[in-house]
Amino acid sequence: MTEEPSRRTFVGKAAAVAGSVALAPVLSACGGGGGKQTGSNTRAGLKAALPAYVPSTSLRPDIPSVSGAPDAATDPAFLRYPAERPVTVSGVPGRGGSYTAVTPLWGTVPPPGNSFYRAMNKALGVDLTIKPADGNNYATIVPTMTAAKRLPDWIQLPTWWNANFNLGRLAGTQLADLTPYLSGDKVRRYPNLAAIPTGAWQAGAWGDKLYGLPGGSTRFSIAGTVFHRRDILESRGITADDVTSADDMMNLGKELTDARRGVWAFDQVWTYLFSFWDVPPTWRIVDGELVHKFELPQFLEALDWHHRLAKAGYMHPDALANTPSDTRFYSGKVLIVGGGTGAWNLADHQSGTAADKNYRRGAFNIFAADGKSRPSTFMGASTSIVSYLNARLKPAQIEELLAVADYLAAPYGSREYTMVNYGVEGVHHTMVDGVPTATEDGKKFVQPTTYGFLVQPSSVISNQGADVVTRDFAAFQAANVKALYKPVFWNMNIGMPQDISTALAAQSVDDAVNDCTRGKKKVSEVRAAIDGWRSGSGERLKRWMTENVLDKYGTGQ
Amino acid sequence: MSTDRSRRGERAGRLVRLRRDRTLLLMTVPAVALLLVFNYVPLFGIVTAFQYYDPLIGVRYSDWAGLEQFRRLLDDPVFWQALKNTLYLSFVQLILFFPVPIALALLLNTVVSERIRNLFQSVVYLPHFFSWVLTITVFQQMLGGAGMLNQFLRDHSIGTWDIMTDPDTFALLVTSQAVWKEAGWGIIVFLAALSAINSEMYEAAAADGAGRWRRMWHITLPGLRGVIVLMLVLRLGNALSVGFEQFLIQRAAVGHDAADVLDTFAFYYGIATNDYSYGAAAGLFKSVISLLLIWGANKLAHAFGEDGLYRR
Repeated sequence: MTEEPSRRTFVGKAAAVAGSVALAPVLSACGGGGGKQTGSNTRAGLKAALPAYVPSTSLRPDIPSVSGAPDAATDPAFLRYPAERPVTVSGVPGRGGSYTAVTPLWGTVPPPGNSFYRAMNKALGVDLTIKPADGNNYATIVPTMTAAKRLPDWIQLPTWWNANFNLGRLAGTQLADLTPYLSGDKVRRYPNLAAIPTGAWQAGAWGDKLYGLPGGSTRFSIAGTVFHRRDILESRGITADDVTSADDMMNLGKELTDARRGVWAFDQVWTYLFSFWDVPPTWRIVDGELVHKFELPQFLEALDWHHRLAKAGYMHPDALANTPSDTRFYSGKVLIVGGGTGAWNLADHQSGTAADKNYRRGAFNIFAADGKSRPSTFMGASTSIVSYLNARLKPAQIEELLAVADYLAAPYGSREYTMVNYGVEGVHHTMVDGVPTATEDGKKFVQPTTYGFLVQPSSVISNQGADVVTRDFAAFQAANVKALYKPVFWNMNIGMPQDISTALAAQSVDDAVNDCTRGKKKVSEVRAAIDGWRSGSGERLKRWMTENVLDKYGTGQ
Repeated sequence: MSTDRSRRGERAGRLVRLRRDRTLLLMTVPAVALLLVFNYVPLFGIVTAFQYYDPLIGVRYSDWAGLEQFRRLLDDPVFWQALKNTLYLSFVQLILFFPVPIALALLLNTVVSERIRNLFQSVVYLPHFFSWVLTITVFQQMLGGAGMLNQFLRDHSIGTWDIMTDPDTFALLVTSQAVWKEAGWGIIVFLAALSAINSEMYEAAAADGAGRWRRMWHITLPGLRGVIVLMLVLRLGNALSVGFEQFLIQRAAVGHDAADVLDTFAFYYGIATNDYSYGAAAGLFKSVISLLLIWGANKLAHAFGEDGLYRR
């Protein structure tokens, strides 16, 4: 039973992983000594490698970005699709080179050589063969390519799989170093790439060199949030903003559950709610020492609350059986679900209103579990979609593909953006009331994630035809942007040896936690699993992180 | 001299047979090649169980671990739990699943009307073609906490029982799922064996006044014995393979303490956490035990005078 995340779901989904560290086992140097590399970046080295940031000024959003906590800001929102679509790339970027690109796809693979691909190739001036691969199996497809050293010319490697892909070691051996082409002011040759904020470039930097091209970037990156059926809650006189503590949340569970009518208040929320107990993604510094979240008392408190929630009967039985939640939420059988913020989009609105015309998705504001402390939740990495070029490419080929990347990074509403996301006007889309609307061919051939997964401009909120979604999501971001904080090792890439990454995965604790949040295991049993993990691999992990990351590179803040 | 001649004769005979059977032999080449490429060549991957295997540098350059991965395995309580679950589930399935296809085949054999027989056969075959996801979804809709059964119980104010998330009855649940999905398909081989029994024997027995039960006891069951023993030998050899998908999907619902079997253990604690060698060690452990089991069961079959996997 798999989820099918949309393009923007990734940002939220991956944040849980990427928020702390991006992990990739590195080759431990033979013969010991101080030769171990982590692939991490030094402050000065990173600064020299990163491209300059030259924001784009071509379009003015309807709802401008608001700044919040340091490095946090809301995404700008557009209610209308820009009528005047500026041209940001003059001429054709390519020089006729022939390349292959692989991206993960969660959806139906468009037929090869279709009219959209052909039109894109013409616009790009290259023969770029796009080969979308099944997203659900991507983590097992890519290692076979890297083991055989047969990566395509251009490949997208989502950061939440950095460990599976051994990214810290692929960088420089199989993936091309882009520092000579993009660092500092060199990026100005590619104005659209230069408009991608610095944080996103950091996700593709390893060992003080730049390798990755960001597929999107946001300064409002959270692990996800807790949604509710705003229409149903409001019809019962409940204002979600009044929920300001874990107790309020539990009481709401009691009020909304009506098992006889087949309605339960909650679906699964643990992944998206535990941070409200002031629990970090993985690490926290206490008195100068690293402390793992498993060691924090508030982690167990959060667990206890979720265990009680499951035991109290406020969770839908199918949620306890771990089946997908979408239909339950649309049909109003559950009223509160957790999920990535990417779920707040046009497609969701269309599916929801098809099931119930009053459907409106809302989200609870971030609160502190005790109802007294300052509300806070940790930020994830600025992007989790990063693409890389093959190290075998010649410099001229790299420059050609970077020019293509510049086209793909054209800002929202530009002529190039329209082409990449909606295809050719009259063939793949028509303008209906100023909104690009897909034709039959467009629905079949134009998957926004095919090219968007290689490179993308920074995120905007835009749901043409559903202003309510854009306004609601923008309002949620604005109300919560001050509650975000940068966790330890934020936006840092850390490669680690195999046994350390296995220790970090802590599968036995992870299993116990999942069982506990579904009412199957007591908190004391989880504590026992944590003790078992800590005495062996946990201590080893902490020592390794302290010596190889904290002491050498700091906390990244 | 005479042995020399006979050996020459044997060789000549083999040549003649080779020439005679060459078309048949050629026809088996693709199957043998398939077996070699997909079943035998990958056996070399076993070496990773004795290494700290690193896919990026490959088998040749990965560090040697000796028996370290196996030592870890035997020290791991989660592994022992998975082994215990596997054996328990296998035992339950042997008792509750194994006889069902035999009984169904016997039942089907007594149906005279061909139309009813075909209909029955189609109905019991059908679930075999469903995926596990679909099968489990059907069970969830019927027996889950929000399913038909429990909603009925709730409507009549009777206590509910969420069968789909109850770890205590999980073995019964997965066995009934297996029966529903695979029992029908399992009757094929028994039906084939039934059709091989000479019908004259039934007629003769009936003429001598043997009733239905006597005929089943003295003709049908002895006729099936060879096949039943063969299937039992195969089942025992596969005792440690109780299924993968079925458990993967339901693992979260009942908790990993109840649902982890050796195959899901190798997946979650090996592949999913990049600990490939550990997963390979768990897999190899399973294979070696399975080999011993199948060897033992085959011996037992021979001791009872049956063919087992091959004729002695």
